[in-house]
Amino acid sequence: MRKDLVFGMAGSGGDGIVSAGDSLLQAAAAEGYHGVMTKSFGSQIRGGESSCRVRISTDPILNPGGNLDVAVALNWDDFLKFGAELPVSGTTVVIYEAATGVAENEIPLVGVTPLQVIAVPIAAMAKETAGTERAKNTVVLGLIAGWFGIGAVAVMKGIRKKLAKKGEELVEANQRAFDAGRAFAMAHPLKASMNIVASETKGDVKLITDGNDMCAAAAIFAGCQFFGGYPITPSTEIMQFFTDHVWKYGGAVLQAEDEIAGIGAAIGASFAGKKAMTATSGPGLSLKGEMMGLASIAELPLVIVDVQRGGPSTGLPTKTEQSDLFAAAFSAHGDVIRPVLAPTSVADTFRITIEAFNIAEYYQTPVIVLSDQEIASRKETMDPIDTTQFKIINRLRPAGADLVDYKRFKQTENHISPISHPGMLGGTYLASGIEHVESGAPTNSGSVHTRMNEKRTRKFDSLKDRKDLFEVTGDPHAPIAMIAWGSVAGVCREALAMAQAEGLNVKLLVPYLLYPVAEGVYNDFFGSVQKGLVIEQTHLAQTFKLLRMHLDLPKGLRSLARSGANPFLPGEIVAALHQLLSELQRSHEGKLQPQE
Amino acid sequence: MSATCEFQAKDYKSDLKPIWCPGCGDFSVVQGIYRALAAIGRPPHEIAFVSGIGCSSRIPGYTTAYGFNTIHGRALPIAQGIKLANPDLLVLAAGGDGDGFSIGGGHIAHLVRRNIDITYIVMDNQIYGLTKGQLSPTSQKGRVTCTSRFGSLEQPVNPLLYMLAYGAGFVAQASPTDLVGMAAIIEEAIRFPGFSFVNIQSPCVTYGEEAQQIKGLKAISESLVALGHNPADRLAAMDLAQHYGEKMHLGVFYRNPEPAPTYDGLVRERQALLSKDALPKERILDLFIKK
Amino acid sequence: MPSKGIDFANLSLMDALDLAILVEDEALVRYEDFAAQMDQHRTPDAAKFFRYMAENEAKHGEQLAVRRAELFGSAPPTVSRALIFDIEAPDFDAARAFMSPRQAMQAALASEVKAHAFFVAALPVLKNAEVKALFEELRDEEILHQDLVKVELAKLPPDSGLSDDDFVDEPAAQ
Repeated sequence: MRKDLVFGMAGSGGDGIVSAGDSLLQAAAAEGYHGVMTKSFGSQIRGGESSCRVRISTDPILNPGGNLDVAVALNWDDFLKFGAELPVSGTTVVIYEAATGVAENEIPLVGVTPLQVIAVPIAAMAKETAGTERAKNTVVLGLIAGWFGIGAVAVMKGIRKKLAKKGEELVEANQRAFDAGRAFAMAHPLKASMNIVASETKGDVKLITDGNDMCAAAAIFAGCQFFGGYPITPSTEIMQFFTDHVWKYGGAVLQAEDEIAGIGAAIGASFAGKKAMTATSGPGLSLKGEMMGLASIAELPLVIVDVQRGGPSTGLPTKTEQSDLFAAAFSAHGDVIRPVLAPTSVADTFRITIEAFNIAEYYQTPVIVLSDQEIASRKETMDPIDTTQFKIINRLRPAGADLVDYKRFKQTENHISPISHPGMLGGTYLASGIEHVESGAPTNSGSVHTRMNEKRTRKFDSLKDRKDLFEVTGDPHAPIAMIAWGSVAGVCREALAMAQAEGLNVKLLVPYLLYPVAEGVYNDFFGSVQKGLVIEQTHLAQTFKLLRMHLDLPKGLRSLARSGANPFLPGEIVAALHQLLSELQRSHEGKLQPQE
Repeated sequence: MSATCEFQAKDYKSDLKPIWCPGCGDFSVVQGIYRALAAIGRPPHEIAFVSGIGCSSRIPGYTTAYGFNTIHGRALPIAQGIKLANPDLLVLAAGGDGDGFSIGGGHIAHLVRRNIDITYIVMDNQIYGLTKGQLSPTSQKGRVTCTSRFGSLEQPVNPLLYMLAYGAGFVAQASPTDLVGMAAIIEEAIRFPGFSFVNIQSPCVTYGEEAQQIKGLKAISESLVALGHNPADRLAAMDLAQHYGEKMHLGVFYRNPEPAPTYDGLVRERQALLSKDALPKERILDLFIKK
Repeated sequence: MPSKGIDFANLSLMDALDLAILVEDEALVRYEDFAAQMDQHRTPDAAKFFRYMAENEAKHGEQLAVRRAELFGSAPPTVSRALIFDIEAPDFDAARAFMSPRQAMQAALASEVKAHAFFVAALPVLKNAEVKALFEELRDEEILHQDLVKVELAKLPPDSGLSDDDFVDEPAAQ
């Protein structure tokens, strides 16, 4: 019996494999399991290869998992295109379409002998039972129900609900395909049972959504009333969510003519006194740079979500990467700080998006939320979130004496000035991208420029004290450390648990606040660190370099960085930690014996 | 919307001193705007005045309205955000020909087709003045400037024809020569329910050519009223607008006799229609419950 | 003709007086504007002269207003500023950075000449004898104004013949 199963399925877009993954995840949730589903696609709009990975567990899930427990290949060409995204190992059961004509001992996976390989006439079964090969995905769901004990009832319940409007005939065809798959599995039991244990939380309410929808919902919860944006993969669903819901809350959404206009309209809305947001991906972030500079100097609250994909330029539009870190931290010209936050899961996207609005409002600044393709498009099951625990911060408004001879950019002790908005009597001022004195009047004085730079950067000092924007797990005195953020943090959390189970004394720092770099938090963390890894999905080790730029890093801290679309596996990280430990032990031994 | 009350032109004039060169038409444009705003009577704090970058884009700071002197070419997107966030505001956008028709040219078609109730005033001087006299999108072909020593090789854009072709509901041209007439046109543009555009021929005294100075322009100016033009006739307006650059027609080219609904108005309707479907915000995550 | 739709043939005396007041007012505003521009741009001598011209226009406007009040009391005017432009006011682009007092005076002189031409051109069309008399008076006054400016011009030291543009800094790019 298993407590945790990772499924990886691939086929052509026409095979409906992602749709099957959706059904599986929802069925698992209905049966009380925790689940995470990620999707990955080829570059074709339709008719390309597509894949999904569904992880199901009796315990909360930290990431989409490493090596597959179950691989489903509807055809081998498509499966192989996903390479490291669907890693097969010696513990994987491989299920594939018999019509591929490949013998079970000749499957095209190099250098690996799976636990078991089973060819199934999936297409033939679909054709026979449902009258169309299109029902292949339903056959696969039946196979999964039969072999792994997930969704025997819930899958068809979900499909029935989904197809209710399309007629009983279609539902029945699917039922036959599902039953055929299940019967096949029953008739051909696995060498070793891989049934998942029953969940104890069956019947509890669960949320299922992806990072983009969660981000948009959090924004509306935080009081966002305006979204301006432009379609770009993989962030577009954020705008779509706004177009579905924001009107109900008295807000508006503008699908602008380009990325610049999208953020421009959001800046306008913020100037007009409303909480506003835009969302984009790497290429759009580049285009929005000048506007971000404007929002910084005009001290206007604004949230910019960057759902990272592989870059530069068009790069890998459908794959995840963390390589926009520099672009986010140093977006646009001039001496300026724009806070950068990063969620690590769909669930904490809720909190981090609210934090982004709170920080934007409190500090009167643009804030960048660095999500990534994995978090944005993966679906997660979650326990319900108690929204009442979240505090909402609104910008400081001028009142009473502030409005007598109002000074929009008044120097104050914490460098934050009360901000008015059009419609407010007594609060009129000139907002501008040009340097300005306290009243807002333009200036080109060097001394004013210095003072205003000081105001606009020093106001973030208190942000760096926000320890709650960092998560430290493991023994605080551990000599070995990991630092990771975004979706990679989830892999490292699992690696930490595995390493601890193996007796390694390790700790993990997950920054939700990436920029400005909170020197104090890192220095506290570094106190015990002799060896460590900064783990990230960037080719140039951007996180490591950003930290090195601001901090004296422990000598033994090094980078584990790689390009996007090459996911980290918890196991390989644990192996790297073991390597660090043995180096550490050698160096201690070395200290006991004088060198040569 | 607060009740309108009596305001005078001086109530819209700020204490900032214009950076414009003496003799610049923009001095008159801002006076015209003061007069138009006084005639309309909205208090300054209910007005948002947005501009881009350029000599003329300094204009919001010379008024007592809420001003936003933004970045080059982007006044219109920002103005739209303001209007959609708070449709009660009177939103003005202004800038030069380079700001509007070159770097910001891509935004215009979209603002016009959305029909957001904003008045856009372009101070068209056929030159980049702030950067010392380079070729602008409305410079005539052959024009010699510091970036076209041997004469411009390109046709200018035709702002009036663009706006008419994009479907703007109100298109007019004015000259700062006739301050009162210009103010009246600006006032009418602001009162028009929907997007409105006023092109103001405001020659550059520092880098402009002789023909573009006011004497030259007066010589080619013609009043649309005197020509008997019917401003409800869009095709006739387009016909006249073709002479941009050769003639300076002053007055209203086109005023849609049946103004289309505005985007901001439709947004309000949609908000009102859908507000009943709102889950309480603290329950917004219920949207993700799968049963 | 820098006027829009004035029906000169049927102009009443009250309307004519009101128009004349508006003409003075337009010039007054333009000169004040110029003076402010010159102040702002470090050209104090020209500012001083434009302010002097503004005072003259104000004075003349007041005289006309008194006459209008005596004849017609507070009867509401039927003409508006919308009917005229640039009659006695110099062209708005006649101001220049660092303009010399001589250039300022020449700009003013040109506008007095322009105003004179306006009244001359209108006279043949007028039918009302009283209005005709008023316009003749105004026409002649423009000559006096021109003389006034010419007197000021004569007070200036002789022109060096050098162009100021050869001495001043180039404009600054922003």
